[in-house]
Amino acid sequence: MNKDAKEGNLMYKFQKITYTYRIYLLLITLILFVILPFVFSNQYFLTIIIKIGVYVCLAMGLNILTGYTGLVSLGHAGFVAIGAYASSILVVRHGFNFFAASLVGMIVAGVIGMILGLPSLRVSGTYLSIITLGFGEIIKMTAMNFTALTNGTLGIKNIPKPGIFGFTLNVTNYGLYYMMLITVILISLFCYLLVKSKTGRALQAIKTDELAATMMGININYYKIIAFVVSAMICAFGGSLYSVLIGYIDPNTFNFDVSTLILSIVILGGMGTLRGMFVGAIILIAFPEVSRFLMEYRFVLYGIILVLMMRFRPQGILGYKSVLPYALSKSVKERVDKLEGNVL
Amino acid sequence: MIVQQIFNGLALGMGYALIAVGYSLIFGILRLVNFSHGAIYAFGAEMAMIFIGMRFGITAGIVTAMILTGVLGICIDKLALEPLRKKKSKPIASLITTIGISNIITNLLIVFLGSEKRNFNNIFGDGSIKFGNTVLTHTQIMMCLVSLALMLILMFIVYKTKIGLAMRATQQNSKAAAMMGINVDFVIAFTFFLAGVCATIAGALVGGYYQIVYPNMGFMAGLKAFAAAVLGGIGSLPGALLGGLIVGVSESMAATFLGSTYRDAIAFIILIIVLIVKPNGLFGREGIKKV
Amino acid sequence: MKRKIAIFLVTTMLTGLSMGCSKEQGNASSQAKGDSIQIAVAAPMTGDNSEYGIGFYNAAMQKAKEWNDNGGVLGRQIEIVRYDDKNTAEEATTIAQKIVSDKKVAGVIGHFSSGVCMTAAPLYQENKIIEISPSASHPEYSLIGDYIFRNNTVISKEAAASVDIAVNDLGKKNIGIISIMTDWGTNTSKIIKELVEKEGNGAKVVAHEEIMEGSDDYSLAITKLNEAGADVVICCGMYNLVAPVAKQYKQINPDIAIVGFSNAYSQQLIDLGGSAVEGVCFPVIFFSESDDENVMKFVDEYTKAYGAAPSALTAQAYDSVGLLLTAIKECDTTDSEKVKDKLYEMDYKGVTGDTKFDANGDVDKDFIKVTIKDGKFIKMN
Repeated sequence: MNKDAKEGNLMYKFQKITYTYRIYLLLITLILFVILPFVFSNQYFLTIIIKIGVYVCLAMGLNILTGYTGLVSLGHAGFVAIGAYASSILVVRHGFNFFAASLVGMIVAGVIGMILGLPSLRVSGTYLSIITLGFGEIIKMTAMNFTALTNGTLGIKNIPKPGIFGFTLNVTNYGLYYMMLITVILISLFCYLLVKSKTGRALQAIKTDELAATMMGININYYKIIAFVVSAMICAFGGSLYSVLIGYIDPNTFNFDVSTLILSIVILGGMGTLRGMFVGAIILIAFPEVSRFLMEYRFVLYGIILVLMMRFRPQGILGYKSVLPYALSKSVKERVDKLEGNVL
Repeated sequence: MIVQQIFNGLALGMGYALIAVGYSLIFGILRLVNFSHGAIYAFGAEMAMIFIGMRFGITAGIVTAMILTGVLGICIDKLALEPLRKKKSKPIASLITTIGISNIITNLLIVFLGSEKRNFNNIFGDGSIKFGNTVLTHTQIMMCLVSLALMLILMFIVYKTKIGLAMRATQQNSKAAAMMGINVDFVIAFTFFLAGVCATIAGALVGGYYQIVYPNMGFMAGLKAFAAAVLGGIGSLPGALLGGLIVGVSESMAATFLGSTYRDAIAFIILIIVLIVKPNGLFGREGIKKV
Repeated sequence: MKRKIAIFLVTTMLTGLSMGCSKEQGNASSQAKGDSIQIAVAAPMTGDNSEYGIGFYNAAMQKAKEWNDNGGVLGRQIEIVRYDDKNTAEEATTIAQKIVSDKKVAGVIGHFSSGVCMTAAPLYQENKIIEISPSASHPEYSLIGDYIFRNNTVISKEAAASVDIAVNDLGKKNIGIISIMTDWGTNTSKIIKELVEKEGNGAKVVAHEEIMEGSDDYSLAITKLNEAGADVVICCGMYNLVAPVAKQYKQINPDIAIVGFSNAYSQQLIDLGGSAVEGVCFPVIFFSESDDENVMKFVDEYTKAYGAAPSALTAQAYDSVGLLLTAIKECDTTDSEKVKDKLYEMDYKGVTGDTKFDANGDVDKDFIKVTIKDGKFIKMN
């Protein structure tokens, strides 16, 4: 008990420091990332960083659904595939600009996300996870068999790198890196604002207790669908990013392993936190690269990591319960102060 | 041709049913989808291949593999899942753990045995019986017979023995069962053992049917068997059998009328439709929603 | 208790780690010296097609050993570095980036499937690194650039040889096709259909069934082919498709003739298929039972070192390394631009016959028709 208190104390101090100087810390990290390519201009290194960025986006998408709303999806590779296929088909065959194409991809994924969200109103828990798993596999099989649209198993080759105003963004001129950086920042910002908004609080209420949330007048059906749609759209955009990074997609790219990888990132980093997504993605994407020499053993280790995490730290690496007092918004604080002042 | 395809589908479905039993047993007791079951099935098949190859003889080889796989099941429960239960972790934690375990088992098999497909001796011989245009191989017939026998044995264990009574009690309410003096941990471990044994029999039969085994064989088969289990009503043994057969036959029908490439999708489409229309499956009991 | 478990698990992990490391060191024992010449072998070392990747690596190691025993090349030792692309485009791009950024290798042997090769090839081309694939067969692969070579015939030629066996040598008219659902399988089956239509000599394709990877039950597709009256089946897949298809087909129709492709040529085909693969035919450009002196020596040494006879693709990888090293030796430099030019001029005599690259970086080789009899590969007469 004593030990716990001590740890809590340390944690409190650490949190207080990081919280007080959070703006500076964020700025420093941001500057570091902006100048990073000029320090390490190694292409391989940059590719890995971009890949991590893509998976951060994907994890953020799933986090909305799994972390905040508490609906576990085992088929998010399906949304990634929809985004990747929609954008690359439009770019390759119809000469769309990448950004317009990925927007269309997001809309398509959003609509399909809404359809997939409908069963979530009827079934819950494990059953919902199973439906999403089936959904992921069906999307993969569709991509394989709908040859006219997706080119079947041959996949889509030579996906061009995106361009802005005639300037092509690729790994060598750091364009792709900065695009990834901006995307990650925008998506994080969006998720941050969403979580802090009324919608975000409704989602968290659903996760904590569906019944209580209904009692509080939250339209559960509406918010669950919203979570599905937003999550699908973010993942679809991640998918478009992925397709331009690799330059080639085929149905086998988006298998069950990808879904579990995204879910593992969310869980490892800490469900329902934003910072956790970064940590999770860095560990799980960099780990296979760093441990390339381990050959087959690295997949065994990957499994061991999952099992150990669940056993000893199921809330994720950064998913600690905050020991800081609950932060009140400014207006509430003023009101509380006023009330307290009245009492005194 | 349709009759032939139905028979092919039934043999295929029997394979799914045998794997589905494992999902059902564990889900019945723990309300947990054991994603590592496909890997356990592959492990059982590989072990059976190794022990039969070591001149143990077919029966002794399969029995050794059954015991070994059963012990693996117990180890999984004791090392990874029981601590989670004791901590009262969320269901998602156990689910992820089983995905991790599946990763570990499959890849350890690949490390030690290699990922390539290997020959599994044909246990039942090559012969076949002809009815007009329809050909039934001995393997197909034996597969159906052995599966049915296994189902009957399992039903006997679950419905007629003391341990079966304990299993059903734990299934209904593990707390109350513990108060009645049932050793719940032992019952769960026994269930894992039973699931492992079934998986080995499934592995040996299906491996013998196609005459190939490889570490990744459990992945697709596992997912489809899972669909079968859900269709039949997860947690119910006759349901697993019927679900397996339905999935097998509809797969063969899809292959016949739509083309072989659509057959894999059909299992998942069935799965989703069942979950939306009748989440408890054909034989499943109505779940009690606690408020 | 908790602590004990934690210690136990950590120990297991560390043991695993060290085992992995020591295994790696054991394999990469190419007596690397300070400035050795590196050749990368990029292929699936783990996963579904790992036996091919490991075959590539073994063949490369053997070739390197032969050269190193004779003093290496340019007075330097040769070091083979292996990369595992798991036969996925994602891994292959990352590996290509790594190879390109390191700028240490003299050339890349590999990438296994055509699709994977074609994702990685533009990167090699852009950075002027020579890639020789022992297995890519897609017609467009070598068109990616002048640094991109292959030591394998284009698929249309191999398909023509297979159709030739089915129609002319076996004298069958009703062709059934069973193909694996990968880029290679889809492409090959399409080419076969066109070939049979154009110059089939009265033969026709009666049915075509596609098979998903990861599914072992082919009886449904086989029943359909059988109903359609096929008397010969062209099986577009590797040994792990041909063997089970042969087994399951012969249970229904023992008289069926089966024709495969050179990537089915592997000892594992016989191990896996047993008596069912008797009479399976396919065209190859390397045949290990050949009476050519070079081939006999290679097969002998390879079998001694790795315990199994080399498959066709392994031999092609062996020759690919030989080609690259000879070119480096003749140019007296590892400068890829000069080596590349040399490769186009060279006329190399290896275990897979005479190799001469054409303007695309393709090779054209004569096929040997091989069949299986009494559990052995023999030449068809």
